[in-house]
Amino acid sequence: MSVIDILTRVDVICKKYEKYDVDKLNADNVSGDDAFARLYASVDSDIESALQKAEAASSEKNRAAVVALNAEIRRTKARLLEEIPKLQRLAVKKVKGLSKEELATRSDLVSALPDRIQSIPDGSSTGAKTGGWTASGSRTGIRFDTTSDGRFDSEYFQQTEESNQFRQEYEMRKMKQDQGLDVISEGLDTLKNMAHDMNEELDRQVPLMDEIDSKVDKATSDLKHTNVRLKQTVTQLRSSRNFCIDIILLCIILGIAAYLYNVLKK
Amino acid sequence: MATQDPDKLMAKADNLTKLSFTRWNADWRNATVLYEQAAVGYRFKKENEKAKEAFEKASKGQEMISSPWDAAKHMESAAALAKELGHWNEVSDFYRKASELYRECGRSQPASDALGKGASALEDTNPDEAVQLYIEACEILEEDGKEQMAFDLYRAVTSINVKLERYTDAATFLLRWGVAADKCNAVNSQCKAYLSAIIVYLYMHDFQQAQKCYNDCSQVGSFLSSDQGRCTSKLLSAYEESDVEEIKRLAQSSPITHLDHVIIRIARKLPTGDLKELKKEEDKAEEQTLDENDLT
Repeated sequence: MSVIDILTRVDVICKKYEKYDVDKLNADNVSGDDAFARLYASVDSDIESALQKAEAASSEKNRAAVVALNAEIRRTKARLLEEIPKLQRLAVKKVKGLSKEELATRSDLVSALPDRIQSIPDGSSTGAKTGGWTASGSRTGIRFDTTSDGRFDSEYFQQTEESNQFRQEYEMRKMKQDQGLDVISEGLDTLKNMAHDMNEELDRQVPLMDEIDSKVDKATSDLKHTNVRLKQTVTQLRSSRNFCIDIILLCIILGIAAYLYNVLKK
Repeated sequence: MATQDPDKLMAKADNLTKLSFTRWNADWRNATVLYEQAAVGYRFKKENEKAKEAFEKASKGQEMISSPWDAAKHMESAAALAKELGHWNEVSDFYRKASELYRECGRSQPASDALGKGASALEDTNPDEAVQLYIEACEILEEDGKEQMAFDLYRAVTSINVKLERYTDAATFLLRWGVAADKCNAVNSQCKAYLSAIIVYLYMHDFQQAQKCYNDCSQVGSFLSSDQGRCTSKLLSAYEESDVEEIKRLAQSSPITHLDHVIIRIARKLPTGDLKELKKEEDKAEEQTLDENDLT
């Protein structure tokens, strides 16, 4: 028996015994006139799917996918937390066919929901990495010349006007240099960004070029085949016997035409 | 033959396809040729409504004679004419049909291009539909492993979402862009996408989300050590210290100026709202954690 046969048989058997399926019956019963039950069921299923996503995120190797999944989980959590007040209002309403104990359990269920929602892991507890990494990034403290800070001990140094002017000029020039270097660094940043973008663009175009390559190869081989066949056909047509027959027939036609012309001229 | 009246061509083609007592099988091959000629004729005469119908029928004909590629091309022409006529729901339908036909041919790039064209046509009039079309286009490319081509589509989605002020959606798509960039090792684009997402969260004045997003993204090593990662950490610490000058200075700095112009515009408007409120929220959160520790 093949797999498909087994599957169809299983489907038929399941359909036959559907009325004994307790879970399915419960699910059908729940969605009725009861708005609370419906909303609660939908919130429940959202929580389940969010938990599944959280599990997928924890087992996912690809970090970027983890980031995207966590963001989605957070969005779902925020949305569910907004629905809680609605549920609470619906829980207090009296619905026919329900006992007082059921109403009490409903409000308990609703109050348990926020905790359940908050406990869905969304990767926000692993947050301690930020502190240690910032220090390695600051590169602004490069010093080339320790005597350039301008502090000169007055004991060992007497200021004359000339040296003052000289120092002022030196400071001005240093400032101008710093400004120039800032401009250069901005330009280099732009260049770096453009270079990265060009890199990515070229990476994007490499597979396209490969495709073009293979397609053009196929097209040239097709053309070669067609050319060979065409050559064969033309040589067949131009075989010398046909050629001679063509010339003879042409001469005959010209003879007839000349004869008719002569006859008509008279 | 091409100078024949398009109406006559249409009538002839309709005759060939209508089943009647004398005709048991519709002659789609000849009918398609006539429909195409009629469509070109109408387009030349600028009768857009009739040209659109003719293209639709030509596309149906091509489908019948099993050439989905030509059918898809005609569908696209019909959709372009529908766009000029302003029948927006027809535009989305036609482009979707064209994309399906391209997928039948097994060519995912033109399929997603068709959806992209439809989405850009609908951007102004029906942005929700446009976003939907862009998402479908991205999914087609990602299924086929061609995420590189999806970058432009993600950019367009983000700009529509920011225009509609749906910032959570915009941030979600930026993170999905990051996933796509990661798959094709486009580190620069990935870091830019993450930086943009954090800026969007900060623009929504949701500092907690921004923090969480940064913590998540720091798990990706290449983001942490990149220019964009450093800029983000400086931005977040400036927010923590409520230093408005620093925030404004960072918004003018180079990593942010190299992002998409939509993001630059909202970055220049940072900080939105009162920074002291954020501090109060944070202090409250810290106090709560301290209480929990006391109980244990």
